[in-house]
Amino acid sequence: MKKKVLSALFSMLLVTSLAACSSGGDKASGGTKDENADKGLEVLGDTVTFDPNKLVNEGEPITIEYWTWGENDPTLKMAEAYEEIYPNVEIKEVIQPWDDFWTKLPLSLKGKNGPAVFNIHNSQHDLIMPYLEAYDIPVENLQADFNSVDPHIIDGNVYYTDSVINTGNIYYNKKLWEEAGLTDKDIPKTWEQFRGIAKKLTKTDGDKIVQAGFNYNGETYNALYQGMNYQKGELLFSKDGKVANYDNSVTIENTQFFVDLYEKDKVGSKDFGDDSTMSFGNGQTAMVYKWGWMVGELEAKYPDIEYGVFATPTPTEEVPFAYDRFNGESTPGINKNQTEEQRAIAQDFIRFCLANDEYSVTAGLTMASFPTKKSLADNPRILEDPVLSVIAPRVERLIWPGAFPSTIETSAKQTIEDILYNGKSVEVAVKEGQERMDSDMKNSDFTSLESSYQFFDEAK
Amino acid sequence: MGSRSRVSSNIFSLRNVTILFLVGYFGIFVIYPIYKAFAGSLHDWNPLIDQYDFVGLANFKNVLTNQLFWSSISNTFIFAFFSVIFRIIIGLGLAILLYSKLARFKTFFRGMFYMPTITPLVAVSFVWMWLYNPQFGLINKVFHIDINWLKDSHWALPAIIIMTIWKDFGYATVIFLGGLMGLPEDVFEAADMDGASKWQRFVNITWPLLKPTTLFVTITSLISYLQAYVQILIMTEGGPGTSTYVISYLIFDEAFVKYNFGVASAMAIILFVIIGILTVIMFKITGESEGLA
Repeated sequence: MKKKVLSALFSMLLVTSLAACSSGGDKASGGTKDENADKGLEVLGDTVTFDPNKLVNEGEPITIEYWTWGENDPTLKMAEAYEEIYPNVEIKEVIQPWDDFWTKLPLSLKGKNGPAVFNIHNSQHDLIMPYLEAYDIPVENLQADFNSVDPHIIDGNVYYTDSVINTGNIYYNKKLWEEAGLTDKDIPKTWEQFRGIAKKLTKTDGDKIVQAGFNYNGETYNALYQGMNYQKGELLFSKDGKVANYDNSVTIENTQFFVDLYEKDKVGSKDFGDDSTMSFGNGQTAMVYKWGWMVGELEAKYPDIEYGVFATPTPTEEVPFAYDRFNGESTPGINKNQTEEQRAIAQDFIRFCLANDEYSVTAGLTMASFPTKKSLADNPRILEDPVLSVIAPRVERLIWPGAFPSTIETSAKQTIEDILYNGKSVEVAVKEGQERMDSDMKNSDFTSLESSYQFFDEAK
Repeated sequence: MGSRSRVSSNIFSLRNVTILFLVGYFGIFVIYPIYKAFAGSLHDWNPLIDQYDFVGLANFKNVLTNQLFWSSISNTFIFAFFSVIFRIIIGLGLAILLYSKLARFKTFFRGMFYMPTITPLVAVSFVWMWLYNPQFGLINKVFHIDINWLKDSHWALPAIIIMTIWKDFGYATVIFLGGLMGLPEDVFEAADMDGASKWQRFVNITWPLLKPTTLFVTITSLISYLQAYVQILIMTEGGPGTSTYVISYLIFDEAFVKYNFGVASAMAIILFVIIGILTVIMFKITGESEGLA
């Protein structure tokens, strides 16, 4: 008897295990029916427009999923607004941590039960592209309303584009700035001026630095050398866009500048903590170079730091080839493997986001990134923001090389560590960095988008 | 009818269901992943976009000509060697101390020593990163030294080894303590009657009798340390430069950062073979010394 009970339990266990392995989530919605086509709402948008006065899914209840990795994703706010207009639609939010997201999403998109809409990061372009449905919006309409569409056109279609663009700035501690007797007039325009200010902001106790004027420990070098190279007209990739252009005199010169800041000027030190963000947040560092995410980081972890932002210096006061690299925060993607009904709602929802200024403004303010929507260039809410107001005058001369292979950044990180911590010369470390990039990109079909930059002809 | 029901009851007997369960379990969770790694190592493989193109031995050629692979192998062996040696020395030493009549509060210390073992490695890694911090870390402050532990290429790997030994010695202590408790008392009594010193007792009786336990600890530790990567991922990400890359971290990097699952599989197969050979050698050596081979 005992044996029979045990074997029955085992059989149940097997059956339930197998059942658990099978996929399938019920996408049926228990929402209400919408019978009111005329919502009495205004048509949104300029060229890309959205008319809310209609029924979607013929008013029948429907649930679609939206997958994202971030709580501050502006699409989440748009989903709530869309549900208010269309009570028959439920947009179910699924928030996954970043690392899980890029494993689970492509696997989910392979099947028929993947999310209808999902957040995209352009660094994962190759991974996601096979599952994307093109936007059902004429490309010329997107181009009319948004900057930065051109690099996202593939075979005449747009599958996602940039909602906002992000770039680097110098963040400075206002209290330490004042203590050093500095005012707004001292904000440096060139790197040489910056070097002088960094010295003034440095405090030492004997040989030991107690306050760093400038700190690039952590991930800063990657982003900053790229921007500094662009300022001097040096591209990140070869002219045909296929090979990394790292081992060159400009990289060596800029990298030497970094090393000199620590080793000659002593405005910081490789041993002054591992993380410049934390050091700035703790009030131990006066200036750091960071991208827009720093605003969220400071708000969340270091709310007491009073900081200001100014534009990254340039080699001279002349207008450079490009002020810096930028990267876009992407608009959502649509799952081509979902049902026709789900895709129809997804297309309508995307149109709603792109026609709605609130989407771009929310994205810009929450991610400290400048909206690509042309009509928002002079928007007071945007220009009042301390970070966006600094980016605004430079937007036109920011360059996007495309979502490049991770080796460009990981290899450069290894280069600066080899110089600072492993005692390698700048020339040798940069050469080895180039070799690592070449080796990693050997089988890559990556092509840089630098040539689509409007001032590309001015490159070296 | 009767014979049919007997057949069906035989099919669903506890033994058959258990065998079916075990075969299913090993098939799905052991055999298939190993087969997939073997097959994947011969392909240009990215499962996330259904890419699976046969490339023969190209991945192995790629791996074997990769300088970073060889420096990672070297780091892996250094890491595993020192971690295993110190785990055994400290584990055995503390086990003997806890087993002796000198020690008091044995249960308390046993618990204390074992506690780091059950603490998640991720949490331990973060705590030790704080301890090693050159600006405010406790270690530099306590010992009045000025070392950037995790950024200096001479210290980064030793720093991770020290943390790993601290985390894991409790496991060896408990296993050795179990081994000591199982030793026959009469042998020691006879040795006492013959006037053997404590050292002679240890060298001639305790140590030889603990050989199976030592072998167990060595092999399990070695297998575990040859595959270690979590602490590397969290504490140094292979840096400074590439000075703390170990083979498992390199596999992780190839598979989940660069999505080169084929190359990562080839590396995993090489690691699999290395571990297999080392295990066989260890069994052979110990078996021979015990007259089992």
